[in-house]
This record gives sequence, structure tokens and C-alpha cells, in this order.
Amino acid sequence: MGNKMTGRPAVAIAAAGPPHHPPQVPQHRQRKPQPTSWFGRTWQGSGPGYMFLLPWFIGFFGLTLGPAIVSFYLSFTDFDLLRSPNWVGMANYVRIATSDPKFAASMGVTLFFVLFSVPLKLAFALGVAVVLNRGIRGLPVYRAVFYLPSLLGTSVAIAVLWRQLFASDGLVNSILAEFGIQGPSWISHPSYSIWTLIILSIWQFGSPMIIFLAGLRQIPTDMYEAASLDGASKLRQFIKITLPLLTPVIFFNAVVQTIDAFKAFTPAFIISGGTGGPINSTLFYTLYLYQEAFGFFRMGYASALAWVLVVIIALFTAFSFLTARFWVHYDD
Amino acid sequence: MTSLAIFSKDDSISPRRSRFVSLLFHTLLMVVSIIMLYPLLWMLSASIRPEAEIFSSTSLLPSSIDLSSYWQGWTGLRVEFGQFFWNSLVISVLSVAGNVVACSLAAYAFARLKFAGRNFWFAIMLGTLMIPYHVTLIPQYVLFLKLGWVDTILPLVVPKFLAVDAFFIFLMVQFFRGIPRELDEAARMDGCSAWRIYWKIMLPLSTPVLATAAIFSFLWTWDDFFGPLIYLNDMNNYTVQLGLRSFVDSSGSSQWGGLFAMSTLSLVPVFFFFLFFQRLLIEGIATTGLKR
Repeated sequence: MGNKMTGRPAVAIAAAGPPHHPPQVPQHRQRKPQPTSWFGRTWQGSGPGYMFLLPWFIGFFGLTLGPAIVSFYLSFTDFDLLRSPNWVGMANYVRIATSDPKFAASMGVTLFFVLFSVPLKLAFALGVAVVLNRGIRGLPVYRAVFYLPSLLGTSVAIAVLWRQLFASDGLVNSILAEFGIQGPSWISHPSYSIWTLIILSIWQFGSPMIIFLAGLRQIPTDMYEAASLDGASKLRQFIKITLPLLTPVIFFNAVVQTIDAFKAFTPAFIISGGTGGPINSTLFYTLYLYQEAFGFFRMGYASALAWVLVVIIALFTAFSFLTARFWVHYDD
Repeated sequence: MTSLAIFSKDDSISPRRSRFVSLLFHTLLMVVSIIMLYPLLWMLSASIRPEAEIFSSTSLLPSSIDLSSYWQGWTGLRVEFGQFFWNSLVISVLSVAGNVVACSLAAYAFARLKFAGRNFWFAIMLGTLMIPYHVTLIPQYVLFLKLGWVDTILPLVVPKFLAVDAFFIFLMVQFFRGIPRELDEAARMDGCSAWRIYWKIMLPLSTPVLATAAIFSFLWTWDDFFGPLIYLNDMNNYTVQLGLRSFVDSSGSSQWGGLFAMSTLSLVPVFFFFLFFQRLLIEGIATTGLKR
């Protein structure tokens, strides 16, 4: 930029070889002398970048990296918030692996929730998106209606509503009663309570549906035209064209929703009144972690639980990415 | 029938049949819509009908309109709900400000400034998106406890000013990269500092992404239950979500009218954003895969 006044591109100067005397290029801003060391050259001009990143750096080191390291350390201690932590080695992890029935129960509940809520939610989202994508009239209205629950869904108000819907004298049983069916108390029955949470999750299929709609719109219509000229049925077109081309979107939604399902907390907390009951049937992993950390102040043990969760989520994600190359179709 | 334009070249489907199929789909979609909206509408109608009628009726139309549930709910706890709404509003507005300022600063650095280690830090920033909050939860709590911040709004607000919601940084980086480079190159030629380019060029051109980030951070903060649950103890500091939870615990099922009234009120701000910024919300989800 120093040669701006000469009107010649920088390459031309460089190609002209070493001049006999340094060119007297009038500079309109005084430049700092070029540092000669490797270190100096690397950091040349980095100042503003780091200034802009300053808040993020403080947050990253102070609230993310630092705490993550401390939490890893605490997971090997018996920290209880009052006394200073004592090193207990692998004891927390050993207890998790061998002798904690509540860990096993909460992991079971969480896996059950993930394995049922995610596929059902995605199937629903995909089904509705495919129907909407036929160019149906009133698409914006339907899309808005289906999206609303997923926008509202995570608030306490909806969990409160759900608690009432599936109570013994709740709305669902009132409706069933009109057909002469005597429904159970869904939320206080250990075999049904988890299903009320799964239904709540499926009810929020709106945002994966929107992502599916965006994906469906990317599929060129001439593919379908060619297929129907060749006499392919609608079902065949869906299986042979829509599904394969949509696999990257399905994959994305599956990973995001799975991670999200592992982290679910509020509905189980509100519907079970913070207990995870009846008989631990809604004891989500995060709820158990919360109880250990902030109910019993077993912070060391809760830290170990947190790291186990990280490992499980990481394994799930890694597994998805490893299997992805066998079923996810990337158009290249 | 234009609604089946995609399939119009399909000779196997006659116009009559396609009309029938279309009708079938509309019926199906309407049934699903009604099932999905029914609980919400029922809650709204339960909040405006006489208490005695709430459980005797599955219909959506109340026999008479009775707003006394709202008064009961508003004053149903030791502290009035007005205080909870105010607390939620303060926390949400400050969180929006923090997220927009801190994330846009970081995003500008990643998208436009040259500095040593940029790619490295960018990768680290993306990596933080993957870390579940549970890992940092306990040490953060201890830190805020030591600082004397527990039972104040600081632990809920200050992290937002330190750009810990890396998702918004990512969102803004994507947008900033789409702004023509010629604009800031030209400004730099004219001697503009990085700060002025950020302030005078990038931000004014980025209102859509700033608005998306602002709306989502408002909604997420407004709905947040876990953070306030951990950090706020005194009922005077409660957010709306904590207030609702205390209401459930204290009244059990004896005051459903008041509970539904307050639940409905707590959804009003979210519904407002849904009504007026729907396009922005839907585009935000469709283009970036936000999960709500």
C-alpha cells in the first residue's frame, strides 16, 4: 500500500530487482520499520485482532478452559464446597462404573429417552416437511403452526401445562373419559411417565422440520421430472431421490437433536417436581447431576458425572460420524 | 391445481385425483395442527374461565370470561409476579446487549482482521461449541460464589459480555464473510482504523444477523431455567421461570387457574417475537441449523 502514489502495482516493483537507491515513495502514513526477527514478523499487525478478541479471551480462559481443567481435577476429589478438596484418585469413576444404582438408572432413562424421542421426532419432522414441500397452499400458515411449539417448548410454562395434561384428572384423561376410557395417572406411573416427556419432545418437531424443508428445496425438481417420465412411482421417487439427497440434512438433525436430548433438563425437573420420580423413571442424567451437585453438594462426584456425560456424548458423535460415510450421501 | 406444480408432468395422476390427494393432505395437516395447538389454546382458555370449570370441561370456549385467575396468580406467592417479570426482563435485555457486543467484536476479528494464530483460535472457538455446559458448571459456580455474585444477576449476565455463547460468534462470522471485502479495503486505504471499520461499516451492514442473534439470545435467556435455578435463591431475585416453578411447588394442584394464568403470561414475550419476527426466526433456523 506504500506504493499507492506511484500508481504501480507492488509486483512490478518487486520484479524490477533491487534498485540502486531506495525508491523515494512518498508515504501518506508513516509505517513502522519492519521487524526482522521471526517472532516480530509473526506478531506484526496482530494488535487490533487481539484487542477485538479480548472479551472472548477472558471468557474462554476464565469461564471455559479454566473451569474445564478445574472440573477435571475436582472429578478426582471429594470436593463438597465447604472443605478443601481431597484427592481420592479414581474412586468417583470406580463408583460410577460399579456401585451407583442411580447412575445406572439415570443413564438408562436418558438413553431410552434419546433412542425414542430423537428418531420419532425426526420421522415426524421429515414426514410433515415432505407433505408441505409438495407446494401445498397455505404453507406459511402450516409452517408457523408447527414451529410455534418448538419455540415455546423449553419454557417452564409448557412443562407445567404438560404436568396438568397427563395428570390423573388432566385433560388427556378427560378426553379419554368421553370415550369411556379410564386413563391412568400418566405422570405418576413409572412405565408411562417417560413417555409424557417423549411426547413433549416430539411435539417440538418444528425446528428440524424447517431444516428439512430448507433441504428439500435444494433438491432439483428436474430429477423428479426425469424419474416420473421413466415411470417411477411417488414412493420410489421418495426412496431413490429424496431420501439419499436428504441424508446430509438427516445426519445434521440427528446429531444436533441427540446432543440436545442428552442435555434435556427442565421438563423432567418440573414434571417430577425435581425428584426424577416416580421410582427414578424420569431421572434424566442432567437431573441426577444437578441433585448430586446442588442437592447433596457432592461436587467432586458431580464433576466426574459431568465428564462421563462428555465422554458419552463424544462417543455418540464420533460413532455418528464414523457410520456417516456408509449412509450419508454427499453430492460432489 | 397449482399446488401440485412439481408433479404436474406426471401423466399417471389425473387432475381429479391430484385434487383429491391435495384435499387429503390438507385434512391431514389440519388435524395435526389442531392436535398440536389444542393444549396451548386449552391453557389460554383455562386461564380465563372460572376456576371451578377448568377440570369439568374439555372444550376451548369458556362459559363465561373470568379474569380473576390472573389476579390470583399475580399475587399467589410471597413476592408478586411483577417483580419476577421485571427481573427476567433486566437479565434478558442485558444478555442481549452482552451477546451482541461481545460476539460481534470477536466475529469481526475472526472474519476480517489478520493476526497471528487466527485459524488456531477460530478452531478453538468452534470447539467450545461442542463442550456441554455441565463440565464448566461446578468450577464456574465456585468462582461466582467466591466473588460473592451468587444470588445476584451477575453470573447470568457477565458471561454474555465475555462472548461465551460461541454460537453467535459463528453465526456472525458467517455473515461478516459475506460482506464485500472491497468496502473495508477501501476504508482502510483512506486510513480508517479497524475500530472505525467495525463501527461504521460492518455493524450497519449486519443488522439482519445482529437482530437474529438479539432475538435468539432474548428468547434463550427468557426461557432459561437452569441458570437462575442455580444462582438465584432469594425470591425477590427470581425470574418468571423460577416463579412458576415455586408456584407449582407451593400450590400443588390447588390453584391451577392462577398457575395457568401466569404460565400464559410468561409465554407472551415469546409469542410476540413469534408474531413479529417469524421470518427472521425461521430463516435463522433454516440457514444455520439453530435448534429451536
